[in-house]
Amino acid sequence: MTTSLRRFAPLFALALLLVVPFLATDSYTRHLFIIAFIYAIVAANWNLSLGYCGVFNFGHLTFFGVGVYTAAIAAKTFGITPWLAIPLGGITAAGAAFLIAAPVARLKGIYVVLVTFAVSQLAMQLVLSQSQITGGGEGMVRIPYLQLGDYSFIRDFKFGYYYVALGLLVLSTLFLRFVVQSPFGKALLAVRDAQDYSTARGISVSRQRILVLVLSAIFTGIAGGFYAIYLRVASPEVFGFGTMSLVLSMVLLGGVGTLYGPIAAALALTFLTEALAGIQGFEEARFIVVAVVMVLILRLAPGGLVSLLDRLRPSRPAS
Amino acid sequence: MNSIVATLVSGILLGSLYALMASGLSVVWTTLGVFNFAHGALMMIGAYAAWTVSEGMGLGLLPGILAGVAVAALCGIVIEYLLIRPFYGTRHMLLVTVMTTLAALIILEKGAQLIWGAKLKQLPRLVTGDVSIFGATISWHEAIIILLAPIVLLLLWRFTAMTNRGRSLRAVGQNQDSAALIGIDVPYAFAIAFGLAAALAGLTGALLGSIRFITPVMGSEPLVKAMIVVIFGGLGSLGATAGAAYVIGLLEAFLILWLGLYWTPFALFLLMIAVLIFRPNGLFGRA
Repeated sequence: MTTSLRRFAPLFALALLLVVPFLATDSYTRHLFIIAFIYAIVAANWNLSLGYCGVFNFGHLTFFGVGVYTAAIAAKTFGITPWLAIPLGGITAAGAAFLIAAPVARLKGIYVVLVTFAVSQLAMQLVLSQSQITGGGEGMVRIPYLQLGDYSFIRDFKFGYYYVALGLLVLSTLFLRFVVQSPFGKALLAVRDAQDYSTARGISVSRQRILVLVLSAIFTGIAGGFYAIYLRVASPEVFGFGTMSLVLSMVLLGGVGTLYGPIAAALALTFLTEALAGIQGFEEARFIVVAVVMVLILRLAPGGLVSLLDRLRPSRPAS
Repeated sequence: MNSIVATLVSGILLGSLYALMASGLSVVWTTLGVFNFAHGALMMIGAYAAWTVSEGMGLGLLPGILAGVAVAALCGIVIEYLLIRPFYGTRHMLLVTVMTTLAALIILEKGAQLIWGAKLKQLPRLVTGDVSIFGATISWHEAIIILLAPIVLLLLWRFTAMTNRGRSLRAVGQNQDSAALIGIDVPYAFAIAFGLAAALAGLTGALLGSIRFITPVMGSEPLVKAMIVVIFGGLGSLGATAGAAYVIGLLEAFLILWLGLYWTPFALFLLMIAVLIFRPNGLFGRA
């Protein structure tokens, strides 16, 4: 019973999300869903490297930022159609991930954190200093938007954008499901839980880490590309602490090493932080709330809220 | 010739600041096995506290600096108690404390923005006027930082190497269980180490607040530089960290002279990657 429920819950959730635009007809609610879908992609893919592979990667938002700026520059500076600029973000993000992964794969423990983190700061420096290409601190604005023929996706209260975002989330989730359930995904868990034994059985840890970082960057970069095209801005804030802590708290809240947890958490936290941002004087303070939430999760439910639900259930059902 | 002397002096100044920052990171790392991402934010808190006492209340700069050190140390002890201590001995302690100190960083940065606002602030200098060193002119304040840093580092080294309390920090860092068995109060040692590192950060912030603007994010750039320093030097020993700080400071100053301000972070970073490929535990680090 429980297993069949577990199997069908994602499909049920998808069906619900498919009808949301017919229930929520205002553009603001749809906007929140679209932003939540983007964050969900980023959080779920981060979970692949952080949760499944155990790489202490704190530069995941770099891949997102690379996607944002790739799409922005491709669409605005080079006039490439946004339909192509978005997937292009995934390609450059994967390339960036490969470059970062090569030195990181050999490192251990805290040095992985330091290098990946320094990379994200460096990416921000690059964006700020190359202002003739990236717009510097002010960012890029008025990036071309998605349209099909004459139909602009922003019309009808963002109806089109909603389904593009949802479609990307579904694709990303199917991709992650495929990776996790493949023999490669099993090998990931083996290394994470028993590194010495798996190496002895012939799994190359560094090759695995490089591959995981590249795989986790693909849809993160695509999400970044979509983010730039949808919001029509690219600003260096995407590399900052605020965005990073928000997405990290989604990974933690959803449960490290689960497939659907970060997606649910992304929806919950996006609506929570947006509600807080609406309160007078809370525009900045909401990040404090996110940080406190993060600490509380780590303190009280280190496996995420999913683990709390599991704890409520009897661990061994009476046969 | 003159520009080389000027670059040397500015490199030593940068090195002094990085040494003060990175030594705090090193003390916390060797004692607790925690990398404190909030270290730069503690520096910023020190600068703001110094400004509030010195300028806001008008009590003068020296009491301000003392207040900066004290407030930062207090914040450090609170962070240790609330965000580090609950996770000792848990399986993923390294990763979890990275996240909790990141949370502390955000709370401090956004909190400072709420308390002190976005307006730029600056402290007066300890001594006004300039001083000329072999033809390179710097302010007296900067000269004092250059002189003060080695003294502080030496005191710190003396403390950890020669006093019983300092030795107890190192004992705890090497083996907590054995340290507890010979009667060392382990949680107390943790609080001391964290408070001491935070005090160093606060001092750096209060000194830096006179030559740079005080903003909520003023700590992030020095933190990244301190990270590069500890990657070069390894986190394990105070001497290696301090040495690496001066090497990086001088390197940065000369890179700025040759490559300009924009490309210097890249050059430093590429160098860091190169070091890590050949020496995964840092240039002077041991496994």
